[in-house]
Amino acid sequence: MQAIEFRNVRKEYQDGSQIIQALKPTNLVINKGEFVAIVGPSGSGKSTFLTLAGGLLTPSEGEILVNNQPFSQVAEKKRAQLRFKEIGFILQSSNLIPFLTIEDQMRLVDKITHQPRPQLVQELFEQLSIQHLAKKYPENLSGGERQRVAIARALYNDPTIILADEPTASLDSTRAFEVVELLAKETKLNNKATIMVTHDIRMTKYCDRIFEMKDGVLTEKQA
Amino acid sequence: MFLAINEMKHSKLRYALVIGVVFLIAYLVFFLTGLAYGLAQENRTAVDKWQADRILLSDEANGKLNMSMLTMDDYESVKAEDKAALAQFPGIVYQKGKKDQQINVSFFGIEADEFLAPNLVKGRMFKNTGEVVVNDSLTKEDGLQVGDQLKVAGSKQTLKIVGFTDEAMYNVAPVIYMSLADFQEIRFNQALPEEAMKINAIVVRGQTKQVADNLEKVKISAFINDLPGYSAQNMTFAFMIGFLIVIAAIVIGIFIYILTMQKQAIFGVMKAQGISNFFIARSVFVQTAILAFVGIVLGLALTYLSSLVLPAAVPFAIFWGLYLAVSVGMWVIAILSAVFSVSTVVKIDPLQAIS
Repeated sequence: MQAIEFRNVRKEYQDGSQIIQALKPTNLVINKGEFVAIVGPSGSGKSTFLTLAGGLLTPSEGEILVNNQPFSQVAEKKRAQLRFKEIGFILQSSNLIPFLTIEDQMRLVDKITHQPRPQLVQELFEQLSIQHLAKKYPENLSGGERQRVAIARALYNDPTIILADEPTASLDSTRAFEVVELLAKETKLNNKATIMVTHDIRMTKYCDRIFEMKDGVLTEKQA
Repeated sequence: MFLAINEMKHSKLRYALVIGVVFLIAYLVFFLTGLAYGLAQENRTAVDKWQADRILLSDEANGKLNMSMLTMDDYESVKAEDKAALAQFPGIVYQKGKKDQQINVSFFGIEADEFLAPNLVKGRMFKNTGEVVVNDSLTKEDGLQVGDQLKVAGSKQTLKIVGFTDEAMYNVAPVIYMSLADFQEIRFNQALPEEAMKINAIVVRGQTKQVADNLEKVKISAFINDLPGYSAQNMTFAFMIGFLIVIAAIVIGIFIYILTMQKQAIFGVMKAQGISNFFIARSVFVQTAILAFVGIVLGLALTYLSSLVLPAAVPFAIFWGLYLAVSVGMWVIAILSAVFSVSTVVKIDPLQAIS
């Protein structure tokens, strides 16, 4: 089952008089249940790839499909709706809302879908061992705990794809390994396609496929 | 609702401060409104009491009661459903033996059997020479009682209070009602036979069928607006209140704008997650509405409490209909002030969440 497909996707920026090729023409299919890492130095185009996959930017050329539906070509409003439904984000520091308790982060999603799923909250919180944090605010959590909550939040929409942007950047290596291991476990358990961008090569040991990004060119490394 | 309320619960102090500012401005608005209304009432209650449709004045009086001088012939010339003669003159009285406590009043000369006769809250209507009915502010503020004797400044006349009426203020002075005959004695220092008596106006209820050429028909509403100082006073207050409402809206608008700017990163993340502009914008509006509402209600509450302890001499009056209108106006304008913040929310690029 394919989760996301890049069809000849190219992205270029105008920077003053220069045109920068942030992503050279790329073809790629990632399936459900796959945990994919994208590594590469900063400025190589990793973030561009992620923002394209997340529909925050549109390609200069080519097409992106999510869950076999057109994604990059649709209007921004429709894309936002698809983003809400199909994509879970896990961001560098934290994508949690500072003034909501951990359980309210999930309830915010309910407010938009109008479908409370307390059962699922319970399940996810148990899987990620964060039940005891339910009533706390993000500011009272450690970095590792925050990323675990972020994983729960990303999974709560039941998306097709999880996009993780340097999820371990603010963690020490023990915590970092824990979080990535969890992410790998959840990917399999919930049959998601997870794309993790990282510059920490050690984190790729849990991944099924590893891509390297260099000067806008994405190449798959043979495991 | 969910976001708005949870955020306020989380940052209580911050939002309490915003509410505090709105509350203080609202209090000022309501207090001024109360004063404006009270002062307006003190100009006109005696006129409202007539429940009349028109007042007939001399056509040379330019709508001013004290500039109009009519005779009893004029009175006889008027054919209307119901008519009443009115003589009016401002004066100063003091209780016998207390010359240092002078009171500004307005004398109304009327016939006790015509419709200008005031309602009584205490005592009886005047009957004999020198008897008067007075507004109850003279007992509330000056401590006068039924049976007290009043001296009139510049006259040898002594008046005796036989009754009290309420809500009888004319041009910010309490009204003293007396017979037309007594009025002539105070005004002209001599008793006049009935046909020689001078009056200032003829007040009419219902249709006016016929009037003499030298009379001008003035609608009561126009007459009130023409009371000396009345419309200028109201306009001054209206401008102050209007500007304050706008200032309150601007203040709350600025606060919400700053709070929105501080939350740009959070909103960016939310938009990246696919949460719609509509959802976020609605939360900003709801927050503004709640802040303004709580501030306004607290302002109203304090205004009411203040009115309980104000001395009777302060012309302060609460008219809930007016307060409701001012409150709703203030609330709606405050909510509109959140439009700037919402436009920034719409402009936030979800891209800033990643990088």
